[in-house]
Amino acid sequence: MIEREVRHGLGVVNVNLLAVQDLRKNFGQFEAVKGLSFTVEKGESFGLLGPNGAGKSTAINMITGLFPPTSGEIRLRDIDIVRRPKQAQKTIGVVPQEIALYQEMSAKENLKFWGRMYNLSGKKLEISVDGVLEMIGLTDRARDKVADFSGGMKRRVNIGAAILHQPELLIMDEPTVGIDPQSRNHILETVKRLNHEGMTIIYTSHYMEEVEYLCERVGIIDHGQVIAIGTLRDLRESIGDRSRIMIMLDGETFNQQEIINHLEGSGLSVDKDILFKENLLTAFHKEPQNILGGLIQYLTRDGIKISSVEIVEPNLESIFLQLTGRSLRD
Amino acid sequence: MSFWWLAWKDLKMIARDKKALLTLILMPLILIAILGSAFGNVMKQDDDSVLEKFSMGIVNLDKGPLSKVLVEEVFENQMKDQIEIKSLHESELRKKITEHHLPVGLIIEPGFSDSLMTGEQAKVKLLTVPDPGLKAVVVQKVVEQFADSVPIEAAAAQKASLVQTGTDGEKKTLQEMDLSKVSLLNETTVSAKTKMVGSFQYYAAAMGVMFLLMTVVQGVSNMILEREQEVYNRLLLTHLTYTYYLLGKLLGLVVICLAQAAVILMGTGLIFGVDWGDSASGVLVMTMAFIINACGLGVLAGSFVKTEKAFSVAGMFGTQIMAVLGGSMVPMYLFPDWVNSAVKFLPNALALQNYLKLMTGAGLADILPAVLGALGLGILFFVIGLIRLSMGRRGRYA
Repeated sequence: MIEREVRHGLGVVNVNLLAVQDLRKNFGQFEAVKGLSFTVEKGESFGLLGPNGAGKSTAINMITGLFPPTSGEIRLRDIDIVRRPKQAQKTIGVVPQEIALYQEMSAKENLKFWGRMYNLSGKKLEISVDGVLEMIGLTDRARDKVADFSGGMKRRVNIGAAILHQPELLIMDEPTVGIDPQSRNHILETVKRLNHEGMTIIYTSHYMEEVEYLCERVGIIDHGQVIAIGTLRDLRESIGDRSRIMIMLDGETFNQQEIINHLEGSGLSVDKDILFKENLLTAFHKEPQNILGGLIQYLTRDGIKISSVEIVEPNLESIFLQLTGRSLRD
Repeated sequence: MSFWWLAWKDLKMIARDKKALLTLILMPLILIAILGSAFGNVMKQDDDSVLEKFSMGIVNLDKGPLSKVLVEEVFENQMKDQIEIKSLHESELRKKITEHHLPVGLIIEPGFSDSLMTGEQAKVKLLTVPDPGLKAVVVQKVVEQFADSVPIEAAAAQKASLVQTGTDGEKKTLQEMDLSKVSLLNETTVSAKTKMVGSFQYYAAAMGVMFLLMTVVQGVSNMILEREQEVYNRLLLTHLTYTYYLLGKLLGLVVICLAQAAVILMGTGLIFGVDWGDSASGVLVMTMAFIINACGLGVLAGSFVKTEKAFSVAGMFGTQIMAVLGGSMVPMYLFPDWVNSAVKFLPNALALQNYLKLMTGAGLADILPAVLGALGLGILFFVIGLIRLSMGRRGRYA
């Protein structure tokens, strides 16, 4: 049974727009998604984070009704997406990771075509297309072929094609991959604006800063399972609000075990606080300045060369790294 | 109506592709011109070709002894290794030849024996399918030789008796019995209007169906290419269902093929003077049925092949094989009868055989069974393709 309501502190009752319960997908012997469960409230901006192969895209494809799960339940309001995907898709917009446009057609022709695929026609279609062109900032390039656009402009049209029918839920799968900063900013602002206008967003990305900027709540997915879910504040607290000290060591001039032993002697736990991956030593600490001096002194005393030292404030990357032992781009 | 917009999009994209347009319109006309001219001579030199054993229907309406000798002694006995004889009623024979179940038929008219004996014009009717090739020539020669030799033997016997009587008038009668000057054979291709099909006509139809087949392969290749791209997934996330997706693709392909067919029909008619027969409705309906049949087969094949590259290779070979078997490369009447019957399940073979029927004067009613068969097959192929496509999605890994 899926919980349908979430009661907040001030007594406001929000109905879940999307509820995913114990979602599983097997491809032969391979279990790509293993009992995924989460909810997304109406008007919320929800981030879904995970490295390549974590099961994000498979989960999204099932949520959008592209293919059915092996088991589990997905509901968009009262609509069972597994059984009635076409009904659900009327109120879902999807921005795929790849550019899903006809390259030989102009931006306007593409938008008109996709609008028609959502049964828009006549004046309503014209208004919608013009509005979207304005929103994505391509009114003056509307008649140019998509093939002639830059990567960022293509991404903007890719988003535009998903919002023509004014969906209640917009699912964006890595919408800013491989584009210039200017286009990225434009896309982020567009997403922010859509969310402020009431559109519910599910946003997946490799870029932590994007998720941190856009999303109120985040689900972290790895090996087909949600390993953490909550607001950014919740998640920060779950790792003790600790900063990351990242020290890049030079060459093979050090003994990994000796360094770990030393850090353990300083009160850090090898399981919770220290990560050693090749030449990169990562330590998590609430007050990094208290241990950094001693650590550098210890390393340099034995002739170990240090290439770089970086202290990173607690963020999603830290959370992900601490939860999985891997960075998002692994 | 989202499928209509999908078809419209495909048509717009084709219309913008100058290379594709050139291939669609100019290539068929050029090839028809080349092959029609080149093979025109080959089709006239059938005597040099090797002839397989074939079947012939005979209707013997003559009660005399000479027709019996021709049928039993000459055809059934002496030519049993070349021709299989089937004795039939006239209506039965006409039906079988009209339906291409027999390539050649012979009707020996009443009074055949008497006419030969008296030197009057003997009546024999040779019925053939359009362009029967060597088969008709062989039968014609046999009958002519028989007509030349038998009366001479009869006349020799009669001469002996005339010499005995020795009257001048009767000698004159004897000279007039030289049947080499008598027009014995009335050759005709079967239909009410009895027209022959020329090489240009044959290759207009043969190349036409082959090019339409190639267009279908190209269209299905594009469909598979689209399926490999993200736009296909995006399409399926809209209001478009699998059925509407395939309907849209089919509709676009049918319109493109119809445009090409119109160019071939009108182009060959206006430029090369090809006569497609008297039944415009028959040609139109057959073209539509063939296109739906071929497109259905293409969609079915496309639903089983995952990559556009694989389909392009398979499609190229498949088209060539179908073109050969269907009579687009060499005249179909050079094949044994069983081959021509067996290949009717191929859209192009069925279409070509019926275009030739129409060219010889058949009407819409005559080709209706083939039209219905083609439509039925096309719809069946489409439905299987649809089922296959919707099932294939369920196990796909993202």
